[in-house]
Amino acid sequence: MKFTPRPLSENVNVSKTHPLAELAWMLGGLALILMVFYLLVGQAVEVVAERLPADAERWLGRQALKNFTVVASPALDRRLQSLLATLPADSSLHRSDFQVWVADTDEINAVALPGECVVVFRGLLEAVASENELDMVLAHELGHFAHRDQLKGLGRGLVATFLTMALFGNDSSAASLVASFTLSFDARYSQRQEAAADAWGLDLLVARYGHAGGAVDFFERMSRREDAPRLAYLRASHPHPADRIRSLEKRIAARQYRLESVVPLDSTRLLAEPPRP
Amino acid sequence: MLRVLAQNADLVIFLFLTGLGYTAGTIAERRHYSSISRREAELLRLPVVTFKNPYPVEALRGGVMVMGSVVISIDYFKRLLAILRNLFGGRVTSYETLVDRARREAILRMKDAARRKGCDIVVNLRLETSAIGQSANNRKSVGCVEVLAYGTAIALRRP
Repeated sequence: MKFTPRPLSENVNVSKTHPLAELAWMLGGLALILMVFYLLVGQAVEVVAERLPADAERWLGRQALKNFTVVASPALDRRLQSLLATLPADSSLHRSDFQVWVADTDEINAVALPGECVVVFRGLLEAVASENELDMVLAHELGHFAHRDQLKGLGRGLVATFLTMALFGNDSSAASLVASFTLSFDARYSQRQEAAADAWGLDLLVARYGHAGGAVDFFERMSRREDAPRLAYLRASHPHPADRIRSLEKRIAARQYRLESVVPLDSTRLLAEPPRP
Repeated sequence: MLRVLAQNADLVIFLFLTGLGYTAGTIAERRHYSSISRREAELLRLPVVTFKNPYPVEALRGGVMVMGSVVISIDYFKRLLAILRNLFGGRVTSYETLVDRARREAILRMKDAARRKGCDIVVNLRLETSAIGQSANNRKSVGCVEVLAYGTAIALRRP
């Protein structure tokens, strides 16, 4: 038999699909699956958040509170109670027994935790200049409780974290891609919640003082300190302070709230007060 | 703008590496394939078969074992495709060119060794493969594939 060498004309071992086309298909499919899953679980979390028993919520709150070193603050408790007293008698918040804690960090922030806990950071207490401002912050946190955000936010954050962890493990390159995708999705939701809590808090502030003075002062001071570009707020959990001021001012104008002078506050006195036993 | 980039450093690095992996990987692969087909045409007249012993002993002038081995690495882009493929299942097409190149390159190197020894044909071709750097989809290790081709190169008595 004679040997005739012949070159192979085609390669059956390599698929013809273009790698970029393959990438586009898989990324698209992944985005779709994640979106559907996230929406479904997000809805489920909201349903659960509405019906979670009180002791389960308190347990969650205790777990969350472990992240901070806190002291109780009777002065802030009284302040919150006087805010609550101005709510209408049928408000669901009257059924809760709120407690305010001061966390020993420089960060300017306050959080609403499950289990009727409000944590105010020391940095924020040092930054507020009037009683009205402080009440606006507390009213904002009460707004989160009124909308039951303290559970919904927790749930959605957990879902997003769980999703990325389950799919890609702890440290994988694709994880960062998916994480930033779900985070920006989450941020949009969370910014809507913050805006809603702002509006709710403003109404309560007006009910308490009869005017809206001091409602935007705090955010104005923050926005002067804040030199981050607007783009950075795409993924942030809170809206840009300037946007918060704008929507608050819009609401003040629409509801024709009056603006009167504020009651000055010495926050060092608040911090010096002996803690609740 | 710079600040946003710095805040999303992980994402920027990821996109940069993926882009680099795609560009560099595509260029390297194209050059490798053109080199492979050129050398395959050159060595076309030196056959390689998997028969164990197609010739009677009288026909042989001599025989020697020849081998060729190569290690080829994946790139960042191929790994991304493979990670995504791990989710959906199906053919990991991004690694197909990798192993195809490795097999052909190893055989070419083996044929080259056979030609240098003055042989006419390589019989009893065997291919071995192993993964270097286990779990290629892990960030901490670089995934490579090694292919070893070996066989018996024989010189035939001319009639």
